Amino acid sequence: MSASATAAPAPPKVLRVPEHTVEIVSDSGEGAQKCGQIFGAVSAKMGNGVWTVELIPAEIQPPPRVPEGASGNRIRLGEHTVTNWGDRTDLVVAFNEQVLLARHRVDALADNAVLLVEDCWARSEDTDIVAQWNAALKELSGKHYRIIPVAMEDECLTIVDNPKKGKNMYALGLLARIYGRDMELIKAQIAHAFRKKSEEVYKQNVALLELGFHWAEDNIDFRVEIPTHPAETPLVVMNGNEAIGMGAIASGMELCAMYPITPATSVSHYLSEVFEKFGGIVHQAEDEIAAAGVAIGASYSGKVAFTITSGPGLALKTEMLGLAVMTETPLVLVDVQRGGPSTGLPTKVEQSDLLAAIYGQTGDAPHIVMAPATIEECFHVMITARRLAETFRTLVMVLTDANLATGVSPYPKPTLDEQWQAAPLDLAPVRDGQKPYDWNTETGLSERIIPGRSGGMFTLTGLSHDDRSKVAYAADIHQHSSAMRSRKIAVLQSLLKPPTVYGDDKGDLLVVGWGSTKGAIEEAVDRARNEGFKVSALHLRFLSPLEPGLKPIFKKFKKVMTVEINYSDEIGDPYVTEENRRRGQLSILLRNATLVDVDCWGRVPGEPLRPMSILEAIRGRLPRGGAA
Amino acid sequence: MPSDPRVAQALAALAQPIAEFRAAVQGALAQADAFLAAQTADAASQAVRAATELGVFGGAHVDAARFAAMFPAVAKADKTSLAALEKAAGILRRVAGQGDEMAVALVTDGVKLGATIDAALAGAGQAFGAIIITELVRGGRFKKAEHEKLLDPAEFRAWNNAERRFAPPLVVEVDGADLHAGALLDFADGREKIVLVVRGNAPPAALVRCITPGTFVLQTVDGTGLDRLAGYEGPAIAALLPEGAATFMHDPNAGKEPWQRLTVPFLPTGPFKAVGGFSAWQMEQDVTMLAELARTPFVVPSAPGGKGAPAIGAGEAVDRIASWLLDTSGLKA
Amino acid sequence: MSYTCGLLPVLEQGDDHHYEMSEYEGARARWCPGCGDHSVLTAVQRLLAAEQLIPEQTVFVSGIGCSSRFPHYMKTYGFHGLHGRALPVATGIKLHRPELTVFVAMGDGDCTSIGAAHWIHAMRYNVDMTAMMLDNGIYGLTKNQTSPTTPQGFKSNTQPYGSFLPALNPIAASLGVTNASFVAQTAEWAPSHLYATLRAAYKHKGFSFVRILQRCPVYTPSLFQRAVQDPANITLLVHDDGVVTPDLEKIYQSQTHHDPRDLAAARALAEQSDRINLGVFFKDPSKPRYEETRRVAPRTPVERVALLEKEFARYAV
Repeated sequence: MSASATAAPAPPKVLRVPEHTVEIVSDSGEGAQKCGQIFGAVSAKMGNGVWTVELIPAEIQPPPRVPEGASGNRIRLGEHTVTNWGDRTDLVVAFNEQVLLARHRVDALADNAVLLVEDCWARSEDTDIVAQWNAALKELSGKHYRIIPVAMEDECLTIVDNPKKGKNMYALGLLARIYGRDMELIKAQIAHAFRKKSEEVYKQNVALLELGFHWAEDNIDFRVEIPTHPAETPLVVMNGNEAIGMGAIASGMELCAMYPITPATSVSHYLSEVFEKFGGIVHQAEDEIAAAGVAIGASYSGKVAFTITSGPGLALKTEMLGLAVMTETPLVLVDVQRGGPSTGLPTKVEQSDLLAAIYGQTGDAPHIVMAPATIEECFHVMITARRLAETFRTLVMVLTDANLATGVSPYPKPTLDEQWQAAPLDLAPVRDGQKPYDWNTETGLSERIIPGRSGGMFTLTGLSHDDRSKVAYAADIHQHSSAMRSRKIAVLQSLLKPPTVYGDDKGDLLVVGWGSTKGAIEEAVDRARNEGFKVSALHLRFLSPLEPGLKPIFKKFKKVMTVEINYSDEIGDPYVTEENRRRGQLSILLRNATLVDVDCWGRVPGEPLRPMSILEAIRGRLPRGGAA
Repeated sequence: MPSDPRVAQALAALAQPIAEFRAAVQGALAQADAFLAAQTADAASQAVRAATELGVFGGAHVDAARFAAMFPAVAKADKTSLAALEKAAGILRRVAGQGDEMAVALVTDGVKLGATIDAALAGAGQAFGAIIITELVRGGRFKKAEHEKLLDPAEFRAWNNAERRFAPPLVVEVDGADLHAGALLDFADGREKIVLVVRGNAPPAALVRCITPGTFVLQTVDGTGLDRLAGYEGPAIAALLPEGAATFMHDPNAGKEPWQRLTVPFLPTGPFKAVGGFSAWQMEQDVTMLAELARTPFVVPSAPGGKGAPAIGAGEAVDRIASWLLDTSGLKA
Repeated sequence: MSYTCGLLPVLEQGDDHHYEMSEYEGARARWCPGCGDHSVLTAVQRLLAAEQLIPEQTVFVSGIGCSSRFPHYMKTYGFHGLHGRALPVATGIKLHRPELTVFVAMGDGDCTSIGAAHWIHAMRYNVDMTAMMLDNGIYGLTKNQTSPTTPQGFKSNTQPYGSFLPALNPIAASLGVTNASFVAQTAEWAPSHLYATLRAAYKHKGFSFVRILQRCPVYTPSLFQRAVQDPANITLLVHDDGVVTPDLEKIYQSQTHHDPRDLAAARALAEQSDRINLGVFFKDPSKPRYEETRRVAPRTPVERVALLEKEFARYAV
């Protein structure tokens, strides 16, 4: 049993830090995620930077007390904006020693981490469990962890019959005390989280919260203080998939056709709840192909529609994507990337669909590919995607990944604008002589004509066709129409602004990234600069076409290297040579576009890149004092 | 705002067709406004608009001024066309601004039911004209002599088939004494939906006279059946009546024979009292006619050999036949 | 969804304008002489004229195959897409623009082989459209390969010693799909029956599946020969609620009075292997239609922004 305070405890030691990373892990179903979500939300409200990620077990119902079942949240708190999940965890609340081991074994915990562990297992009547507990403690003893046993179950049993249903609120109480969280805000958040339950449930949860809080007050000898800066502008907090869904609504799109696939599906979970009141529907199709087909049919007949998927679904949709490009039917596709190939790592992050996205269609199928770098950009990119699809009459792909999809972080509430939305359907009669593909021969751009327009009556076709949509039989037609579809991409590139370098615009190394790695890369670059390295970063949002002016930017650095979450060989690996080296996907694009010898560093750990590992890569490529 | 809560009930049942009509009006209005604004837009204002439309993400990466310049400006329209478009936009703005009121009409003293509906729909007819003018001007096809008259109010009888198909629904508040069903028949065409909210004493089965094979007709006291009306493809007439009136639903989709299409949950029995110009005799005639239409023939028409399930709505028929069989065989207690 | 009135085409043509059959004719059909597709095209153009469908408000969607050239030969809107994938595209059109009239032209390989999943699910969605499967029992465009409806033993380029499997029965398969609402069979060599069946299919509110039996003059000219040569091998399913063709009564004396609401009887008729039944096997207009079930009230930009503000309030920090 934990010691109850008989005398007034010594005042706790206060650690004032600019950031701290907390984890709460449990067996699946014990509510650790709810605890983590409330803790994250309250921290954001109080004015801390927050980045929350879910720790998801690979199975739906793993057995209890096994490392593979570790489920919960990791919350990185900062004085300022937090842009990524960070390196290692400083403090953990674990509901059993096995899930703690899981985190230890993937090197998720800082060497001096504080571990608050439920210790009822040490007193179990089941000798196997006691043996497991002892073995785990031994395994953990290799690091300098500070382990604090907490009799959570015994404590909770004073309030509830089933501690499995109460530990999470007790744990929230511990964290509330340690991190000095505002209890009134927490209570409001609990009320919101349990708004569909009875008053009784709320009261019980608050009692558990206070129990944990007081135990920590009496027994924990330190507190953590991260300065807070309440936001000047209103913030909203959500994950990237919810942001995608809201962005789609804000863009005025009215149809999302999809087939369930992890980790994209939660976009449709969100939209299915709310889309109808916005005049939109989510259509769950019979398969990935049909989902793309329904979106193309809807787009062809009116407003741009969209489909969402992940790697395997992208592969299945390939032929439909070619059809959209060929018929110049606008379409927005969101690919929430996961580990591949094949079924791969369904719940884990990877950035390995880049080349498949750009080049994966048969024939020449020029189209637009963009990648938001933050959760905030997940919202805003959808508005741009809808607009560009309409203007350029083509497919626009938006590449996000599991890191953005499940990461939760606050961002400034967008100032909504009606003009983001699709215009009402244009039913003006077609001009005399107007053709279904009235290509401007300079730009390849043409006006789209939808059914209902007087005098149109055109048939679009996936066969090669001339500007009147007549099937091509003459030799030069396919050459010309291919040029027209391709030209549009050049036109868009001519309208893009060159990207901005993060840091000095010249130096020894330029790290180039895309997508969700922006926060981690820039943090690593900051640290490297503090260590004296002349490193800068560049982050790309447009991948097809590539943003302009890359070569002149690259030329100002001695070395250019991409950092990507996709596999690349390393020089020095057996058999790997400069000639046969298989490179990171962005680096292939950049080498092709600039003829600069762009190096790459890619890892596929099934988790977001840690700034620390990027920093090590930078150090490895760049010995102190200059470029390699 | 409507005083009678049943008006809100009727509007709720018609929310979908009302929203569809309003969307068509507002869509055309947005197109008209954008076209008019583009007539005077310069490069700078076009760039501002392009930047907005591209969104925050696009604005950060796309040069909005060059983006705007890449696309041809809207064709300049002549003064006559623009004047017509401005007038059309004014009409659309007025109709759009009415909100749900657009779909509500009140029968006032001295004006007949038919005339009230006519007047209310004339406004919608004018909106149709304005929508067409918008499309014509934007397409560069407006001819004053030929088209300007489209902006005049247009009575339902002057509407063409397409307009009748897209007719907006209407809720009409009417006193029972003014419930002249014959006047409604003129509007039973296209997809027109009319819901009467009847106040005070009323003839008990007046709408029986509206029954034709293709018209959905409903008399209800509590709103039952209104949900079916909005989804019906053809014309529909319904009345929300005070307690005591006959309740029935005539759904053309339910079968080929009148008794298959008609369900009569409540049929009042006389004696009836005269209301307004309706005599008790007329009322009895209406009620009798309703009963006759709903009467199930003893032989259920079906495939020869009697194979196959009876058609939809015939459950009651089966009961009646069973009852008759029991009756004639002397088995009924 | 978006909602449009499409009033202008009517105004431009005049309300009293009568569309002639020729006004629905697109490019000159390039099918082989003697191909059954020509009769279907004629029947469809006749149907559009009879119903006075507005060309601007009508869309033909097709997949890939000889018959999928269909939209090019119509003077309506058209979308000629991918092999097997006409139905999802048609579904998308109808979900977004329910006011448009949609026809789908598919071949047998298109519909029952590569697009089989879409076929089953389109019947289950029961979206209002007329789906014609032009079934000549062979892949014609790609030159003589066995399709699922090729008769067992028939020699083709892919199965030169005779097709291995019994032919798939598309009518029986259709009748097994939950929420199917209209299943009919007709034949290219009986034009008045073809026309009457397509008209009944068009008039049915829901997904109307029509299998059109036809011969490919090049690869399967002898398909249905017994039936073509001896009308006694054909039975007409007649019913007031189905198809009635008085002009064919003399030729086709074998007739069955079949109530199309009787699913069990329809299934039994579909399984008859000794003869060909033409007519409406099944029809039930009361089945829920997906585009109606999913119909939502359109929103204006102003309304959408106001609602989205509320939505953001739920996520406010």
